[in-house]
Amino acid sequence: MTRSDIGIVAIIYATCLLFLVMTLQLKAAAQIYPLCLIGGLAALNTLYLATRLWRLFVKDARQEIAAEASPDAAAGSSAADAKAEKPGLVNDLPGIFAGFLPGQFFFVLIASVAYLALMHYVGFYLAGLIYMVAVMQRLRVPPLHMGLTLAVLGLLIYSVFTLFLKVPLPRGVLFS
Amino acid sequence: MDTLALMGTGFLQALSPLNLAMMAAATAVGVTIGCLPGLSAAMGVALLLPVTFGMNPATGLIILGGIYCGAIFGGSISAILIHTPGTPASAATAIEGYQLTLRGQAGKALTVACFASFCGGLLSCISLYFFSPPLAQLAMKFKSPEYFWLSLFGLTIIAGVSSKSMIKGLMSGVIGLLISTVGMDPMEGVPRFMFGQSTLYNGVDVTCALIGLFSMSQVLILAEKRIEARPAAAKFKDRFGLSRAELKKITPTLIRSWIIGNIIGILPGAGASIACFVGYNESRRFSKHKEEFGKGSIEGVAGSEAANNAVTGGSLIPMLTLGIPGESVTAVLMGGLIIHGLQPGPELFTTHAGMTYTFFAGFVLVQFFMLGIGMLGCKGFAHIARLSDAILIPSIFLLCVVGSYAIHNNVVEVAIMLIFGGIGYLIRKFDMNATAIVLGLILGPIGERGLRRSLALSDGDPSILFSTPLCWMLIALCVLGLLSPVLMNLMERRLHEKHGA
Repeated sequence: MTRSDIGIVAIIYATCLLFLVMTLQLKAAAQIYPLCLIGGLAALNTLYLATRLWRLFVKDARQEIAAEASPDAAAGSSAADAKAEKPGLVNDLPGIFAGFLPGQFFFVLIASVAYLALMHYVGFYLAGLIYMVAVMQRLRVPPLHMGLTLAVLGLLIYSVFTLFLKVPLPRGVLFS
Repeated sequence: MDTLALMGTGFLQALSPLNLAMMAAATAVGVTIGCLPGLSAAMGVALLLPVTFGMNPATGLIILGGIYCGAIFGGSISAILIHTPGTPASAATAIEGYQLTLRGQAGKALTVACFASFCGGLLSCISLYFFSPPLAQLAMKFKSPEYFWLSLFGLTIIAGVSSKSMIKGLMSGVIGLLISTVGMDPMEGVPRFMFGQSTLYNGVDVTCALIGLFSMSQVLILAEKRIEARPAAAKFKDRFGLSRAELKKITPTLIRSWIIGNIIGILPGAGASIACFVGYNESRRFSKHKEEFGKGSIEGVAGSEAANNAVTGGSLIPMLTLGIPGESVTAVLMGGLIIHGLQPGPELFTTHAGMTYTFFAGFVLVQFFMLGIGMLGCKGFAHIARLSDAILIPSIFLLCVVGSYAIHNNVVEVAIMLIFGGIGYLIRKFDMNATAIVLGLILGPIGERGLRRSLALSDGDPSILFSTPLCWMLIALCVLGLLSPVLMNLMERRLHEKHGA
């Protein structure tokens, strides 16, 4: 069993609970189908938890007993299992997030969310320009490449969405 | 109108100047996306889905088909020249292709990859033409109970086969079904799970979800790691082209890989990334020049590339006829069909037959564009393949925003896309299944309508769901779908034991 398993199980149960609370507020006839799905999801999640717990308490214990009884045989027969998953509760998060750069990741994520707010005020194109420059600056793109990217992408979006598809992209409350 | 006449009309429609221009542009865009390591065909198709909104459905689908085929081929350019497969579908090509490059035969490797992709793609169109109509006729017999089981079958097979953990795959599918219930209840007319947002009245927009799950999540995946310069593309001076002897040498491999790719494409759950390895392995097994493998074999490149492109036509068959997409790209393409107001199934071959056959013809012609663009532009694409992630991250994000906004000119949908981007990122990190979520989202309304209409017809008696032989056939397929990973594991273990003994 791994730490990520605990997280997944908890999130799925929380999702089931959230949808259950909202479903119970619907009228009776409209509750049946969502309740079936919530029940199915909770059942699958419980099954997943059970398989993980079985691995944690039964399979790992058997491996340990086998290893104590005959270290050589156990090493040979369960070598693949041991390689696949170590016994006990394993912290797999360092593996999942190996090479993760929090500063860079959260800068891009926050800039993306901030972009939406900025777009509301200054419109799509200006907000896009500010976002692109900020992110490329943070990611250390050389100025020439930055200029080329802005020109190509701007031209592409303008020609396809504004001229060809005639999408009225947001102009921003400050300019409209 | 008979099939031959429809095929002819389809070609005439597809040969219009607008369609030809779109095919060329879409194939070039697809090859560009494919040759960029880290970007996938599904991501490209999802990102460019909104561009097709204002067009007629046939042209829109031709564009999406062109991106699909181009991206699957494009991966081979970076695999051969910089030893980094652009897409997982070209992973096997990198083995022999890069060895040929090291021997100064990159031109030959690219020619073989291009020609094999062309042959695989073109031959897969044959099965598309000949297997789709009979399957669609079978689907004509489906009524509400059958549609319920069909949607369940689509989910079980994808969730069961394409995930590392079958339970995680099934959970992903049910999460998709749950998300599909957001919006107005189709029978009772009451709002469900709308969080006070009137934008969600018609449910979560599939395109928004697709862009978020496949494209926005990729932005976050790229943003989390150190940005490193990609290796320079190998320079080569050898000429493009194949001698008659080389052509003769790879012909059996091309035919074999075409069959392999087609079968894998039709099977839900498998895709181009599996086909390329099976095609490569079989080319080595049947080769008369086994000693060349590992040192740069043109048969190896042909085996992998013909197989992965043969998947394209094959994978469209269950999607167009039964509404069961076999993998992520076809799930996105199915989203494209739905956006254009078309429901996969028999209607595509009756009411909308003209559009469908135009798309088929376009799919054939796209293969020729792929050959031309691949041969003429691979040196240029090799340079594009070195484009830094630092440029890709903000550029893809901006395209995600404009794409999701353009659906209904609504900022709330951009926010929904962002939320799905976050969900997609977590799903990829924790080995859940994004394709199963999309399928749940697409198949959910079909399944719910089928189930609730059936129950309404029978006054709530559930035995209606088991009333016809077709229902039982689909139930058996659902069970088989669930058991297939277990059976495959057992078979694999027995084979290992046999070889071990």
